[in-house]
Amino acid sequence: MGHEGVGFKSGSTRSGLPTTRSRVPRGRQIQKTFNNVKITVLCGFVTLLVLRGTIGVGNLTGSTLESEDQRVVEDIDRILREIRTDSEPEPQDPLSSLYFANSTAHNWTYAEAVEAVNYSLGPKISDWDQQRQVWLSQNPNFPNRLLGKHRILLVTGSPPNPCDNAIGDHYLLKSTKNKIDYCRLHGIEIVYNMAHLDKELAGYWAKLPLIRKLMLSHPEIEWIWWMDSDAFFTDMAFELPLEKYKNHNLIIHGYPDLLFEQHSWIALNTGSFLFRNCQWSLDLLDAWAPMGPKGIVRELAGKILTANLKGRPAFEADDQSALIYLLTSQQDKWMSKVYVENSYYLHGFWAGLVDKYEEMIEQNHPGLGDERWPFVTHFVGCKPCGSYGDYPVERCLNSMERAFNFGDNQVLRLYGFAHKGLVSPKIKRVQDQTSDPLQVKEKLDMAARITM
Amino acid sequence: MLERCIGERRLRQIQRGVRNMKLTFLCLLLTLLVLRGTIGAGKYGTPQQDFIELRQRFISHPHRALAEQNQPEPKPKKSDKDDEPPLRSLNDPYSLGPKISDWDSQRADWIRRHPERPNFLTKTKPRVLLVTGSSPKPCENPVGDHYLLKSIKNKIDYCRVHNIEIFYNMALLDAEMAGFWAKLPLIRALLLAHPEVEFLWWMDSDAMFTDMAFELPWERYAPYNLVMHGWDEMVYKDKNWIGLNTGSFLLRNCQWSLDLLDAWAPMGPKGPVRTEAGKILTKTLKDRPVFEADDQSAMVYLLVTQKEKWANKVYLESAYYLHGYWGILVDRYEEMIENYHPGLGDHRWPLVTHFVGCKPCGKFGDYPVERCLKQMDRAFNFGDNQILQMYGFTHKSLASRRVRRVRNETSNPLEVKDELGLLHPDFKAVQHHAS
Repeated sequence: MGHEGVGFKSGSTRSGLPTTRSRVPRGRQIQKTFNNVKITVLCGFVTLLVLRGTIGVGNLTGSTLESEDQRVVEDIDRILREIRTDSEPEPQDPLSSLYFANSTAHNWTYAEAVEAVNYSLGPKISDWDQQRQVWLSQNPNFPNRLLGKHRILLVTGSPPNPCDNAIGDHYLLKSTKNKIDYCRLHGIEIVYNMAHLDKELAGYWAKLPLIRKLMLSHPEIEWIWWMDSDAFFTDMAFELPLEKYKNHNLIIHGYPDLLFEQHSWIALNTGSFLFRNCQWSLDLLDAWAPMGPKGIVRELAGKILTANLKGRPAFEADDQSALIYLLTSQQDKWMSKVYVENSYYLHGFWAGLVDKYEEMIEQNHPGLGDERWPFVTHFVGCKPCGSYGDYPVERCLNSMERAFNFGDNQVLRLYGFAHKGLVSPKIKRVQDQTSDPLQVKEKLDMAARITM
Repeated sequence: MLERCIGERRLRQIQRGVRNMKLTFLCLLLTLLVLRGTIGAGKYGTPQQDFIELRQRFISHPHRALAEQNQPEPKPKKSDKDDEPPLRSLNDPYSLGPKISDWDSQRADWIRRHPERPNFLTKTKPRVLLVTGSSPKPCENPVGDHYLLKSIKNKIDYCRVHNIEIFYNMALLDAEMAGFWAKLPLIRALLLAHPEVEFLWWMDSDAMFTDMAFELPWERYAPYNLVMHGWDEMVYKDKNWIGLNTGSFLLRNCQWSLDLLDAWAPMGPKGPVRTEAGKILTKTLKDRPVFEADDQSAMVYLLVTQKEKWANKVYLESAYYLHGYWGILVDRYEEMIENYHPGLGDHRWPLVTHFVGCKPCGKFGDYPVERCLKQMDRAFNFGDNQILQMYGFTHKSLASRRVRRVRNETSNPLEVKDELGLLHPDFKAVQHHAS
């Protein structure tokens, strides 16, 4: 509030002389406006700076639902890409260097390729039975029997990377829970493998080095039970009849006529089988492995298998066909100790089973393990983790959900619950709570009929 | 015209005054904004809170971007839709189940009748059931299920080495107690259905074992029924809502525990009960933000308000990381590998690394997605290395899924012992009796 006099100079007028409003010169008007604009811009800038400091600039640019979603999706995509670039590189075909170095055009035969690669699962062991016996006698705290039953180790696994199809990981999770449940009820240990132990025997062959390694590391384990990640337990009450297998070392689901008469490539199924921890099994693994090494060996082996096994399409050697070929071509050496089991579904092909679950619930009860109440429902060909299966995705996923819930009902029963339907994740109470829960538990029979 | 009324000089004075006031007001506004942003304005919140509130309001809508991805889900039946229970009123008390008063004797009878399933595996080692779980629906986040899978593999490994059974829950037993409260009805059902279990060990799905060699000190807990990670002073003196953690705790199977569950549950039922309880908890507990009642705060509140009744049987463990907050652990793994060894369980080699706030199954956690997932990979590999070394392998690095051999195959595998002695450890040994 200064004294305004002639000498007063305001920022917006040059001379101190007041001028009438109607006659403000153009120049000064523009200058005034310009100054106002300057101040406005300055204030706006400072405001932005302050807001940026408090809530961040990205969030100012329309933080709507869509853009948040978009950013999270982009983040996750980028992370998935990074994860996938860290995967195993294609293993060097051990023969490539030999193949291309050889100047004369040489058609490798399978036998030559095997010899050149000279693959071995590990140093030869010839006295495993004795080694094991000595160890067991020195370690009475790690017996091979618990409560009279031989110890079993269930082995399964999946690749270390996230599935190509996200729903695949969800069903791997459910499959794992399903195995945890069965194994808890039957006192079986589980090893879930996510590591590539041997780059040459990658893919379906990866189970061979894994089984051998576990056998040799755990002499207290009597049976190693390999089970694919796409196989579900659907009979929680069924106990393996191990006494039947007293004199056998390999228990595998299959059909003797398909095996011996027709040499069919699906005569046996290596998605669920048991190996006794003994010298015989180590020898069989050694005889089985040669067709496995990735590259030329597997290719050439595949051709031999397609030529010798009925119905086999042309593709590289797989462990199942190789085992069938081995057992049929060296019958006398191996078959006496192999039990081809088909009195119950140690492996049950899903397509013929999943639609009958409701019928089974109505007419039968758990504990049978066979076509009336399958022990294992195996989703061969579905490949929910990968991008391409042999069956429509929707059918596969729907059926896997049904199989999971069918098995889960038998577990939930212990707590008085059941699924609302075979497709529903929701549950309902089927037995009222009581203040005397142990009386109910005493009467509970795992093999009793299920009411839904 | 105004000029003629007031006079030109006056007019300009007024104009100047107005301009000055505008400037002053603007500066004041800016100052307030900055202060609010830096030190907060109490109940008027901070910009950060504004943002979170805004985000939360929009998040309640379904996430179209992810939901539209090709994820065929099983078609839900019509009956699924009408199973939302009516919200419980404040006057209607909740109960986990019919009151049981003689559980200790019921259980003792059972154990006597079933000697093949004893509640103690050796003189000191109890039968333990580790309980964890996740939703039966696929995760919203496409990699969420993959991390749940790795997490359960991690638990399978620890439990195999330590002879602990696992229960993986995917069922919502009581729709009223949804969310973090779902563990209460589950724990009660499991305690009653498994009298042979001595201790139930609840563990969140976002917690991973990072010390495979550490065996819990069972003898220490003989006089107690509830063991949680936490600090006595922070709970009983400070009444801090994070004075203990209910993401990983042990509960003995006994009458006391059933009573505790009954006392714990009332704040849980969804709806006005949970909201009102949340307000009480925020008022009573230190530093607790405003949100509906959660089981952890409710436990602190219970222990603080009914100390005489419960505290003598509750052990707040801080000697090792029964729960280890990931934020202070994950960057130190390489340092730990260099300076220490497994079997310590504490800050030198944590037993459990718990990814609180990450929420890998959902889309929005409290931390950036990338940091969470990368660190979960590292924690997983840190633990997995201890399992792989049993078989002669290790991860190429803490960030890599690939493995390399560290011990050659031999024709005398039984003469080789793994470094950590986890293949046949003492705590897995079976009590040797004539069987």
